[in-house]
Amino acid sequence: MKKILGLLPLLLVFWSCEVEGDLTRTQAKSLDQGTAILKYSGNFSGTSGIAVIGQAKIYLEGNRYRVQLENFSISEGPDLKVYLSKGATPTEFVSLGNLTAATVYEIPKEVIVANYSHVLIHCQQYNHLYAIAPLNAN
Amino acid sequence: MTLLLLPLTFVYSQGCSDAGICSLAGSFLTDAPSKNTVEFGNIFGAGEAAVKYYSPYLAYTRKFSNQFALSAKITYSLASGSFGKRGQFGDAYLTANYDWKSKRTLKWSTLLGMKFPFTQSNLKINGYSLPLDYQASLGTFDWIVGVTLKYENWDFNSALQLPVFNLNRNSYFKEYSGTNDFPTTNLFERRPDVLFRTTYTYKTKGKFTFKPNVLFLYHLGQDSAENYYGVREAIPGSEGLTINGNLIGSYAMNSTNSIDISLATPFVVRTIRPDGLTRSFTAAIIYKMSF
Repeated sequence: MKKILGLLPLLLVFWSCEVEGDLTRTQAKSLDQGTAILKYSGNFSGTSGIAVIGQAKIYLEGNRYRVQLENFSISEGPDLKVYLSKGATPTEFVSLGNLTAATVYEIPKEVIVANYSHVLIHCQQYNHLYAIAPLNAN
Repeated sequence: MTLLLLPLTFVYSQGCSDAGICSLAGSFLTDAPSKNTVEFGNIFGAGEAAVKYYSPYLAYTRKFSNQFALSAKITYSLASGSFGKRGQFGDAYLTANYDWKSKRTLKWSTLLGMKFPFTQSNLKINGYSLPLDYQASLGTFDWIVGVTLKYENWDFNSALQLPVFNLNRNSYFKEYSGTNDFPTTNLFERRPDVLFRTTYTYKTKGKFTFKPNVLFLYHLGQDSAENYYGVREAIPGSEGLTINGNLIGSYAMNSTNSIDISLATPFVVRTIRPDGLTRSFTAAIIYKMSF
């Protein structure tokens, strides 16, 4: 038993628990304000207990639509996603990926943007809606 | 001197955070010389898209009688590749082994086990989702059942690994990753695996034992994931057969200590392996101590 007790600290040091390096693949996108045309926009409001400020704006840049979050800030949450949604709840939506420090989210080519009325911030892990931005055409 | 006989540990080249049965189904035998056995393994692997793995584990086996033993095992996995480096504890395993009494040369043993994930398979780097190839666990709670038939120098293992609760919350989308190396595994759901393995044991007159073995794994059905519309889709080509070859060389330092070297590679693989079980080669060094 003494052998085991002597071995364990060594093993724990050896494993050194969780490791998170730097992201080595560039994923951040930016918007060319010179060519991008604002098509839709809306202000965020939080669901119960969630503090949020900022706007969601959808730009057409070339032949691609992109969502940009402007002056945006929200209460911390696990696994938050950006959804383009057909309603104020996430029942029919397009997930645009993780809410990260990036502010521009690309909308897949085949999505007909005019059919979607809201941008949502949703926690996928616990299925909890955080914020809603109803869109208006510009 | 009593030759050290410890439970076999198979390192399989299908790999992963160790999906489970491949390494556990070999651990049936309760013929260790002492009541307690500790095993520390270091597995190095190379996977698809040039992902490299370092996967240590620690296992403890307590023999309660000549027929019955309980084992606990904890795994860790560190993956590094084009997304960066990510490491975390993977899974915990609890298994019970029972050797059935027999006076004949045919000996049966059975295994019942559980796998508990330490993560929900949604580890990220700087907030960006990672494919399952970088996850330390598949995020499922599994039952594992198996049976082994031992006949002279031959062992025949068969086992089933059945996901019971899916805790997987992976959120990786191929479409937003900038690479086609890995498929979308958003809210991944995994199907069961069955295993069949044949092992031949050759003991030299000295302290060496060699155990070449062939491992057949069949993935029972297509895995699935939710696309960016939130619609669940089967992943074509994710079911099917994997065949691995594995060679284990064991050196018994004395009656209670041994070192194993294990080399493994697949000969047949599934068309697509969204679960990240993509090792093209693994090498392991394992230290075992009984007391």
